[in-house]
Amino acid sequence: MKKRYIISSLVMIVVLFGLSLTAWFKPADDFSESERRKFEQFPELTTETLLSGKFTSKFEDYATDQFPFRDSWRTLKAYAKFYLFNQKDNNDVYVHDGYASKLQTKIDDASMENALNKMNYLYSTYVKGNTDKVYFSVIPDKSMTLAPEGNYPSLDYEKIGDYFKDNLDWAKYIDIYPYLDYTDYYKTDTHWRQESIVDVAETIASAMGATVEKDYESVTPDKDFYGVYYGQSSLPLPPDKITYLTSDTIENCLVYNYEKNNGTVAGDVYDMEKLDSKDPYEMFLSGACSLMRIVNPANESGRKLIIFRDSYTSSLAPLLVESYSEVILVDIRYIYSHFVGSIVTKEDFADADVLFLYSAMILNDSYSFK
Amino acid sequence: MLFSGIPFLFYFLPIVLIVYFCVPKFLKNTVLLLASLIFYGWGEPVYLFLMAASILLGYFIGMFIDKSKTKKMKRLWLTLSVISSVVILGFFKYADFFIDNFNAVTGLSLPLLKIALPIGISFYTFQILSYTIDVYRGNVPYQKNIINFATYVALFPQLIAGPIVRYVDIARELETREHSFEKFYLGMRRFIVGLSKKVLIANQMGAVCDLFRETSEKSTLFFWVYAVAFAIHVYFDFSGYSDMAIGLGKIFGFNFIENFNYPYISKSISEFWRRWHMSLGSWFRDYVYIPLGGNRVRFSRWLFNTLVVWMLTGLWHGAAWNFVMWGLLYAVLLIGEKLFVKKLIDKNVVIAHIYTMLFVTVGFVIFNAPDMATAGKDLLGMIGVGGYALSNELTLYHLSSNALIFILGIIGATPLPRLLHTKLAEGKAKNVVAIIEPVACVVLLFLCTAYLVDGSYNPFLYFRF
Repeated sequence: MKKRYIISSLVMIVVLFGLSLTAWFKPADDFSESERRKFEQFPELTTETLLSGKFTSKFEDYATDQFPFRDSWRTLKAYAKFYLFNQKDNNDVYVHDGYASKLQTKIDDASMENALNKMNYLYSTYVKGNTDKVYFSVIPDKSMTLAPEGNYPSLDYEKIGDYFKDNLDWAKYIDIYPYLDYTDYYKTDTHWRQESIVDVAETIASAMGATVEKDYESVTPDKDFYGVYYGQSSLPLPPDKITYLTSDTIENCLVYNYEKNNGTVAGDVYDMEKLDSKDPYEMFLSGACSLMRIVNPANESGRKLIIFRDSYTSSLAPLLVESYSEVILVDIRYIYSHFVGSIVTKEDFADADVLFLYSAMILNDSYSFK
Repeated sequence: MLFSGIPFLFYFLPIVLIVYFCVPKFLKNTVLLLASLIFYGWGEPVYLFLMAASILLGYFIGMFIDKSKTKKMKRLWLTLSVISSVVILGFFKYADFFIDNFNAVTGLSLPLLKIALPIGISFYTFQILSYTIDVYRGNVPYQKNIINFATYVALFPQLIAGPIVRYVDIARELETREHSFEKFYLGMRRFIVGLSKKVLIANQMGAVCDLFRETSEKSTLFFWVYAVAFAIHVYFDFSGYSDMAIGLGKIFGFNFIENFNYPYISKSISEFWRRWHMSLGSWFRDYVYIPLGGNRVRFSRWLFNTLVVWMLTGLWHGAAWNFVMWGLLYAVLLIGEKLFVKKLIDKNVVIAHIYTMLFVTVGFVIFNAPDMATAGKDLLGMIGVGGYALSNELTLYHLSSNALIFILGIIGATPLPRLLHTKLAEGKAKNVVAIIEPVACVVLLFLCTAYLVDGSYNPFLYFRF
């Protein structure tokens, strides 16, 4: 009996101290690839930080972030939740038919109103009186079709669409819901796949009296794409591959990013270096950017399209350039609304097509709109 | 610092264990005291001074009671102990509650003090009171060694969430206690079981409760799912904390009293309170109810005693009316049980159990409400008042997603797992159990670590106690 307790105690001691010693002496990591965030570092220890509780609170984050084999623990937890306790989501992320999605059920009325107010401001400040060719569309999340199939609750996407349809009486609503199902999105990421949204591009272009190209060359680089849900789900999901569509027109387009050299240096539509970055989806127009001009030398009509947008448009915009000499992209998450006019001028808006294109996810969490 | 956190499990605890078991016997209490002060000061550095003042007050009053020659003087010192405890608790815990209600009654607008409640104040104040009262009663000699006394009050295993350990129960162990591999292993086993109850069951049920509170898509069924989820949450959280405290105590050579004895198998409210938070129930019985005369008094006085004790029990859990109402609900139920219902429930075990759990669940809905208005809405929602659908997609999702946790919670709240373990451990397969058991403990520790590393929902329920 005594021997049993000695052996059992030793097992406990080895496990507890083995993990503890590893935690104490493991060098700190700066960044988590899977979670796409910076890790907390050992906090500054001063009398002030100690008495204010800052040290202890940051130390708790540090100890948790820097715990040895963190990703493996997170995967163990995900397995426990999904397979041991038969729970349907982990960290509000669920997987159905190989597609990961976020569990979202609550429409944030205040956020919707905030988004509406911002769009009304943009319209009345820049668009009104300059052009009456104004359009609006909502991009649903993949959960719109994935959730019902897997018996998960989801946002009421019809309600979100209707809210803006009813309140934006100055814009023509373009319904793209029927053209999207969950297979049109990446399995591990929130975004849609460019090769699956040509019909969406055609619908939007057609509503604006424009056209899209008929023949694109489809290219799939041999690079793995681990999307945002890969890290959040903590499950070893197989990676996606990014496919992009290109053509002579797209390849000849010149992209001026106002966050780089004040928009004076032309870049490419597809930024191949980004395929090796932390977020390979940024290969489309180099990722997040407050203001961008895509100049299409193949179109000399002078016709312009201005899109108030979020990241979904990065992969859609290249498909819309065909009928335009210039496509201007504005993301008010990264530029103050009142500042837009200093770069996108009255002349730009004059007789231009203006499209407000936002994902339902952003509309339901629009507090980053500036 | 929380037991269910990486800093405690893999930094604080191992360091304390190393130092504690390396130092000679005469320094062990000092190590425990220092560790307890760091543990408490981790989250509440400023309130260390308050705890130190309470300890000094308790220590000296205990000494003065013992040294006093006359009964009158002893009583005077005890009165001072009671008053100082009530003043400290009243100021730090109840001041804003009284000001708020005073303003409501008088129409004045006296400013609130907005004092952050020192964690564990109710636990250590009650421990100090039990000490001074027991010294006054002659049940125990006063503690001469201030390190030992401070260790008793501040002992980190039970400092912030109980059980309320009485000085008389561990007085001997404070002077001398035994350590062994048996105690170490059994203590670790108990700690890990408690940690698992907290992390794997209670936290999951707590998340359901929070989802219910946040959503506007409620249904009648969701009100019930919430009520049952909270009943499981609060039991597994609280008894899990007690298990962890008792387990840690055992590692360090202490035998703390049990705090829960499968309360959800009770067949009456009075039985429930003999099984739920036993250290608090017995504290109020021995130091309030019986001194007031208990039940050996005339009927009206007994009613008064019962109401006072249960109102105070409710108020002990937090400075808000819903806690008072929760306490009074039990007073009414216990009075009703004694006068009318007992004969009826004695006849039918099933009805008795349903009756008990119904009121316990309803009671916890009141307990967990942020205010009385919400408590009322929740109770009405449970009976379908408020224009809610009978069920909805969200309710069914959370019910089905957590079905196994609900089942584990319900089974785990009965003695079945313990009976099964005892049967196996004492049966033919006892050698196999001896091997599997520590492995199971390690697996549970790994699972809890995984949940904690992922930064899962991990609330601390006792911040209002």
